[in-house]
Amino acid sequence: MEMLDDQACPRCKSTKFRNPALKLLVNVCGHTLCENCVEVLFVRGSGACPSCNTPLRRNQFRVQEFEDAYVEKEVDIRKRILKEFNRQEDEFTSLQEYNDYLEEVETIIFNLTNEIDMEATKKKVELYRKKNKESIMKNRSKQSSDQAYLEALIQEEKEKEEEKRQQLQFLERQTKSQKKRDKEALIDELIYSDMPAARVIASHTANVETQEAPVFKLPKKMTLATGIKVGLGYQDTFLPVPKQEVVVYQYEEEHYETYGPTAPTTEEIDTQRYNRHVRPASPQGEAGGYGHNLACLRALQEAFSGLLFFPLIHGKKEEASVMETS
Amino acid sequence: MFQSSSQKQFWTFTSEKDIDVLRTEANGRYIEQHKKKTKGQDVTSFFLSADEEHVLCRHYEHLLRDFCRRFEPPMPPAVKGTACAYFKRFYLRNTVMDYHPKFIMLTCVYLACKVEEFNVSITQFCANLTADQERAAELILVHELLVMQELDFHLTVHNPLRPLEGFLIDIKTRFTSLSNPEQLRKPADEFLQRSFASNVCLLYTPSQIALTALVTSAAKQQVNIDKYVTECLLSSTDKKELRELVSTIKRIRSMVNNIPPLDIEVVRSLEKKLEQCGNPELNPDSEEYKRKQQELLNAEDEDFSLGISSAQEEENRQQEAQMLMSV
Repeated sequence: MEMLDDQACPRCKSTKFRNPALKLLVNVCGHTLCENCVEVLFVRGSGACPSCNTPLRRNQFRVQEFEDAYVEKEVDIRKRILKEFNRQEDEFTSLQEYNDYLEEVETIIFNLTNEIDMEATKKKVELYRKKNKESIMKNRSKQSSDQAYLEALIQEEKEKEEEKRQQLQFLERQTKSQKKRDKEALIDELIYSDMPAARVIASHTANVETQEAPVFKLPKKMTLATGIKVGLGYQDTFLPVPKQEVVVYQYEEEHYETYGPTAPTTEEIDTQRYNRHVRPASPQGEAGGYGHNLACLRALQEAFSGLLFFPLIHGKKEEASVMETS
Repeated sequence: MFQSSSQKQFWTFTSEKDIDVLRTEANGRYIEQHKKKTKGQDVTSFFLSADEEHVLCRHYEHLLRDFCRRFEPPMPPAVKGTACAYFKRFYLRNTVMDYHPKFIMLTCVYLACKVEEFNVSITQFCANLTADQERAAELILVHELLVMQELDFHLTVHNPLRPLEGFLIDIKTRFTSLSNPEQLRKPADEFLQRSFASNVCLLYTPSQIALTALVTSAAKQQVNIDKYVTECLLSSTDKKELRELVSTIKRIRSMVNNIPPLDIEVVRSLEKKLEQCGNPELNPDSEEYKRKQQELLNAEDEDFSLGISSAQEEENRQQEAQMLMSV
């Protein structure tokens, strides 16, 4: 009851409860009016909203979909804004950017709905529209991926239905003709057979029962060797690849302060025959990726590193550099 | 690599004074906390001083090395070095009065076995002990995390053993005029073993210690390897650094050669003193420790069954009250 009462025309105060035929209409400002009042007030095609005095046009009135006027207004604004802000996810280089864009759109819608910063927001929308005129038009003509997906689904469903229908039709036809043939055969037999009529009928019914049900064969679907689907499954996949602006990684050789004489390199271990003096690696070790050069190199590096490290001198220096950087 | 290690960054001190300061601080903190326990006794005669603590530590380090030497199966030498380093580092910040070294020593060895990839199970490990093995295993595991935490989880220790190996390889390759380099190995090794008893691993880099061992060994074998050091190894080093290195080597040698002997009588008296001033709450053999552990356990139990027990207690109390009334 309350719900019916809630839906009332603000002007003539008639409610859905008293007048079940009441049709509430809404305009851009989000305020409702019943059909009768609209007719009375907007005889000349335009006028002011009785609730907020916004100039309105009669042809912009439409049936209220939601009970809450606020929701109605929000939906209306959203529809309008999304017509312009119709960029797709694949136009953005990163998810972050796409999310930022969505966030911005939501802010605009919220501001317009709640009348926050109306002027600034409107300007923003206008600016966006001017800036992105082309891409808006392009996107409008382009199906969104959701739409395409939906259409594909519908198409698939349709195909299935069609198939089912054909199957049913086929079965029906088959059984019909079968029956007809059976009947004719029976009559023929009754005419020409020497056996008593009862036995002829009995053998005939047994025959009919053992007959197999007709099998429906699917007509072959047309597919291309390239795997491209024919029909609505086809989509425009030749969109320009979005530019990726990423700083390319550049390798810089790490320099280590070893505090000691330079240890021989991996090559020198071999060329200067350092590795003569270590135990050769076992076959098991080599299978695991170990080589005696590694042990040799490690021992030498450990011997050389830190040989000239003097905490009194270097410790202070390091502290000083830490102080400087901090 | 040593140059980027935590050992260089956090555990290489500039002088022995720094080490003494740390030990004295730890000692002072303990005395400050437990002053009340003296019961009128003189603070210095009741508590161990930092120096006395150090004597005890050295005694237990000796036991530690002995334990490592006898360990079955025989352990790689690096385990001993690492265990010694752990033990020394641990008692830089803690006092023997809080944590008795006999437990810490075993824990250090056990931890070092793991870190140096010498795989022994705890039962295998404790089979080397004569005392109650199960209890020992339990205590080692109890202390393991504590030791790791006190070491700031800096578990990689660079021992001078591998650098010594490196120098020998280098000598064999580049200093071919030396006829029998292998003769240097044994005395150098002995020198390193002795160095574990000193503080050199807290003050100098492993390669410096290894070079000192090599030089000392050469002197002992009456071989001259000065040419190797100046012409092969450090040919491109400037004079100043060379001088610094020479004086470092001298200092390491004098430190290792002048380790004061331990007087077993003094150690015994100190252990007796430790019995009275040790922190009973952290001593796993004491009543206080057991009580505290029990309390902790109980607290956990209570948390667990708080709802049930409180209701039951209430009931009991009421019953008791009724009984009293009827009497």
